[in-house]
Amino acid sequence: MIDEYFQEMEKWADQVKETLSERPCWDLKTCAIEPLREITVKPTEVIVTVDLPYADKKTVRVEAADTSSLEISAEMKKKIRLTELGITHRQGVIQRFHAWIRIPVTVNMDKMKIEHKKGILEIKLPRKMPTHTRRKK
Amino acid sequence: MVKLSEEVEIIETKKVPTGATLLFAFPDVGLVGVIAASHLVDELGLTEVAHLDSNMLPPLIILHEGLPHSSIRIFAGQDTLLAISEVPIPTDMIYPIMDALIDWAKNKNVKMMISLSGMPIQDRQDVTELKSFAAASTAEALKTAQEKGLEILMEGYMVGPQAVVLQRAAQAGSPAITLLAQCFYNYPDPEAAAEVLKQLAKITGLKVNVAKLLEKGEEIRLRARDVMKRTQEEMSKMKKGQEYDIPMYVS
Repeated sequence: MIDEYFQEMEKWADQVKETLSERPCWDLKTCAIEPLREITVKPTEVIVTVDLPYADKKTVRVEAADTSSLEISAEMKKKIRLTELGITHRQGVIQRFHAWIRIPVTVNMDKMKIEHKKGILEIKLPRKMPTHTRRKK
Repeated sequence: MVKLSEEVEIIETKKVPTGATLLFAFPDVGLVGVIAASHLVDELGLTEVAHLDSNMLPPLIILHEGLPHSSIRIFAGQDTLLAISEVPIPTDMIYPIMDALIDWAKNKNVKMMISLSGMPIQDRQDVTELKSFAAASTAEALKTAQEKGLEILMEGYMVGPQAVVLQRAAQAGSPAITLLAQCFYNYPDPEAAAEVLKQLAKITGLKVNVAKLLEKGEEIRLRARDVMKRTQEEMSKMKKGQEYDIPMYVS
């Protein structure tokens, strides 16, 4: 019974994930493309990396939108027409990256460290550790 | 048309050379194989000679200059065959597809099969000198790789189409090699693709200029973004992360 419940939950989660992912990665109104990213949760920190090819390093912005999410944006060094990416049936340009990233554990946004190497943005966020109360015997 | 099983058929559209080396390049970590193979097709002027068809695959075609193409195609040059897919192979179709391609290769008297792929490393963005490794199906193929100066992947797990190629080739006693360049797991990696091509040249003598590939690195990363995203989903289904596991081989 419990197994069936979890199987149903997993199926539902997969369906939600698929629905959310089946949309274009670009938005022609904002001329933005969503970058690929990866979140690694380590014992003491969370490392977020974001792939930003063509990004102008000087324009990369990382902001804590709230205590658990980041807003990342960067302008590209040049405007890229959709036709250059092989999309010939739509007209438009891409000129920036934009992404919202939800951090799955509690972190200290004020101590965020940012590096940009080889077109990969790396953000390190120290984790906020829960305060344990020690019981006296 | 060669019908190899009920599910998968390989349709030849031009004369296919026999006795060639067959390269495999399928979407995987860093899209290393696909990026490398795409560069090979351009540099060597390989032409499409066959494609794979199966009603078990998702109903997908690739349109190019207004005409439909299969997502899994075979290109050929004088002594080279190259099987490439531009979309990730669904996990449950890896065995039937690879079995069909390997059987077809046998019919074409392929002398060696070589898979081009990657090996993800932590903090890849900090690494400037990429290392690469080789694994082989037989002791002779392993010796060949060593003699050509390739570092051997001595222990570990391999997950994906290249694992099936080595497994089936080992069962048949035929030579196959997998080349793995250190790469990003989740991001397209043209530098790793250039590295794997350098290793391929050591084995086959197929020398290509990788400077153009490196120059176009940013463009390739942007263009490959969606294929990488789809590949991430499929890698997760096939438990690709198992390659990170501590190996336990009972001897």
